[in-house]
Amino acid sequence: MAEFTASVYQNEFLPDGGTDVNAIVTVTCSGAGTAGQTGGGAAGEIIIVDTSGSMGPETMAAAKQAAQAALAEIVDGTWFAVISGSDHAELVFPPVASGPGMVPMDSSAREAASEAIDRFTGAGGTAMSTWLDLAGTIFTSVPEVTQRHAILLTDGENRERPGALDTAISRATGFFQCDCRGAGTDWVVPELRRISQALLGTVDIIPEPSQMQAQFQEMMRASMARGVADAQLRVWAPQGAQVLFVRQVSPTVEDLTDRRVEVNPLTGGYPTGAWADESRDYHVAVRVAAKAIGQEQLAARVQLAIGADVVAQGLVKATWSGNSELTARIDQQVAHYTGQTELASMIQEGLAAKAAGDERTATTKLGRAVQLAAETGNDEATSKLRKVVEIDDEKEGTVRLKAAVAKADEMALDTASTKTTRIKK
Amino acid sequence: MTDTTCPSCGTVATTGSKFCESCGSALGNDAPAAPVATEALDELSPISAPTRRRPTDPPVATGPRPCLVCQGTVGPDGYCETCGAKAPTERDHFRETPASWVAGVCDRGIVHHRNEDAMALLASDAPGERAVLVVLDGVSNSIDSDVASLAGAKAARESLRTPFPQGMGTPASRSGAITQVFGAAAAAANAAVVQVTDPASTNPASATFAVAVVERSLLAYANIGDSRVYWLPDGGPGVQLTVDDSAAQQQMESGVPREVAESSPQAHAITKWLGRDAPDVTPRTGQLELTTPGWVVACSDGLWNYASEPDALAAQVAAAGTSEPLDLALALVAFANAQGGRDNITAAVARVQPVDSGQNASAPDHQEDPDG
Repeated sequence: MAEFTASVYQNEFLPDGGTDVNAIVTVTCSGAGTAGQTGGGAAGEIIIVDTSGSMGPETMAAAKQAAQAALAEIVDGTWFAVISGSDHAELVFPPVASGPGMVPMDSSAREAASEAIDRFTGAGGTAMSTWLDLAGTIFTSVPEVTQRHAILLTDGENRERPGALDTAISRATGFFQCDCRGAGTDWVVPELRRISQALLGTVDIIPEPSQMQAQFQEMMRASMARGVADAQLRVWAPQGAQVLFVRQVSPTVEDLTDRRVEVNPLTGGYPTGAWADESRDYHVAVRVAAKAIGQEQLAARVQLAIGADVVAQGLVKATWSGNSELTARIDQQVAHYTGQTELASMIQEGLAAKAAGDERTATTKLGRAVQLAAETGNDEATSKLRKVVEIDDEKEGTVRLKAAVAKADEMALDTASTKTTRIKK
Repeated sequence: MTDTTCPSCGTVATTGSKFCESCGSALGNDAPAAPVATEALDELSPISAPTRRRPTDPPVATGPRPCLVCQGTVGPDGYCETCGAKAPTERDHFRETPASWVAGVCDRGIVHHRNEDAMALLASDAPGERAVLVVLDGVSNSIDSDVASLAGAKAARESLRTPFPQGMGTPASRSGAITQVFGAAAAAANAAVVQVTDPASTNPASATFAVAVVERSLLAYANIGDSRVYWLPDGGPGVQLTVDDSAAQQQMESGVPREVAESSPQAHAITKWLGRDAPDVTPRTGQLELTTPGWVVACSDGLWNYASEPDALAAQVAAAGTSEPLDLALALVAFANAQGGRDNITAAVARVQPVDSGQNASAPDHQEDPDG
């Protein structure tokens, strides 16, 4: 039985007249078990592979191998399907035209699916909206599957009329989760990030075909370890208070503020998807009416709910104090993640400016990113930034754009921009 | 003693019942929760040294409580589910309404982390027949004085359950008998305070003691330390009946004006108290015949700090503009909190309406008992 705990890190002391309360809430899950095996409904996996004409022979061979390796990770009994995607989507396994579009995994199904994958050939364009829509249709055809996860691999840019992909993303949002991977450097990071962020998944670059198999194995293993099918983060704030933002800040930065659904007038629910044995950190900021010095009140209840049950709760408090030594302090966790959140946007904005030819903005933003990465101890970001800029002074954030940058390094920096590091607690 | 009505379902319970036989709710608004269950809510409380809680205090079931700020519901986490206000523990804020004409509020205030004031009330259903107001103010630099003050207040109340003896029938002998009763009540309170004090404590719990007893037209009072009893007749002038055992009082007796004496650094140093190290627990006592309607107020210094002169306190009573005792007690506590709430605040009030009210508007004399 999965167990959740929540701990809160904050400086609850506000100065006279202070209104804004910031807290980091760490939610930890243990004993999650295996996807589809915990009695809360069956799990389903769909592997979506780009089979457009742009897939070169080497990439295609690697993609086949990777998809087959992913099959090997799917636990027997898990419902699954394989979709090939080009300018339209096709269900290549199971080979059915109607009825349930998924079958439970066993050794013969695994073998038959492998053979179907072997027959992939590259042809046609790239219309990702059709891939997502077909995956949704397939999941719908098996009602007992309640935990739905897909892996999407592409090597290119979406070629559809504007808006088509976004409407498909919104149809899939809240219905299934999707991890996205881009092979090579001809795909567009913000495009796949839009899919993965909305569908509560990850996005990453696979620069070399040889790395594909390991990535697919890892993604599928991670998905199979998520024994808690779905959970909701809830934030209660007092009457008259304003929730300024709700962000996941670890393992990656995801702004959840606009994904609020009303649980009751004072409580908002935010999707978190499936959980394995893991910890996630959330940054919650609430604005409350200032009270008199010495008064204490609750600024937020941050809860994790499974269905209607609240399984963990952390209390965010506000206490007004006249002692400036108490009120001036910024909680270490809050400061750390505030820096990491800014780091993510500095990298993304810097790279966007660079792509648009605005070198001055790019230099300033990436310089600030270098500074923040150093301050918050995000070594991965620092090493990825190093491949894009020459660092003159890490502390001051003075950098020069490198003359020649490998596209893959830039994309790797972009996809990794939302990854955060923790500080020791 | 009177029957109690269950606050949840309205069933009349038999005298002395702790829980409603119909719905199981805790009875008796005179029973603040055992601090044990709710203690975790008050993380700011200093952790006290060994605590000897009286095992006889039954745990009181705590259902959902109303928020004192917005009337929402207090959640199991101790905060209001609507406005987020921190609900005080039932030791930090409690109210008693033993009868329609008597009520009290005992509150932590704003600055202190713990409520070391205590109060215990008793009243007949019939207005004016008999009421007992006991206020103890635990001394904040002694260990466990919150536990001790409550134990002492309850012990004093129990000792005052029986109406005063009439003595030999003369006013003087009745007065002497009442002095004896108050002496016994102070001794009982002291014994209870000492009982909950850790014998090994180097800083034993101590408390003040103030009692007002209304018995028809008689108001009798007693005190040790600086908690007070006031008589505030409608239309004034009000009187402070008790005389503090305090450094400020000594200064005032030597001619220092009240405002100066009561604001001096040592003003709140008390010269007599209850507790294991108390040299003398004989209270000062006095009696007064009530002939006009008015309010009897027993309070701790958390209230009178902000309205020491009887007329200043009477002005706050008038400002409250209510004839409901609980509303008045709440208003007085709110007034003290609005002034800063620098100490624990207790306000216990009884509304007195003598049968022959209005006939005699002159301020009654009051007599200090010579033994007091």
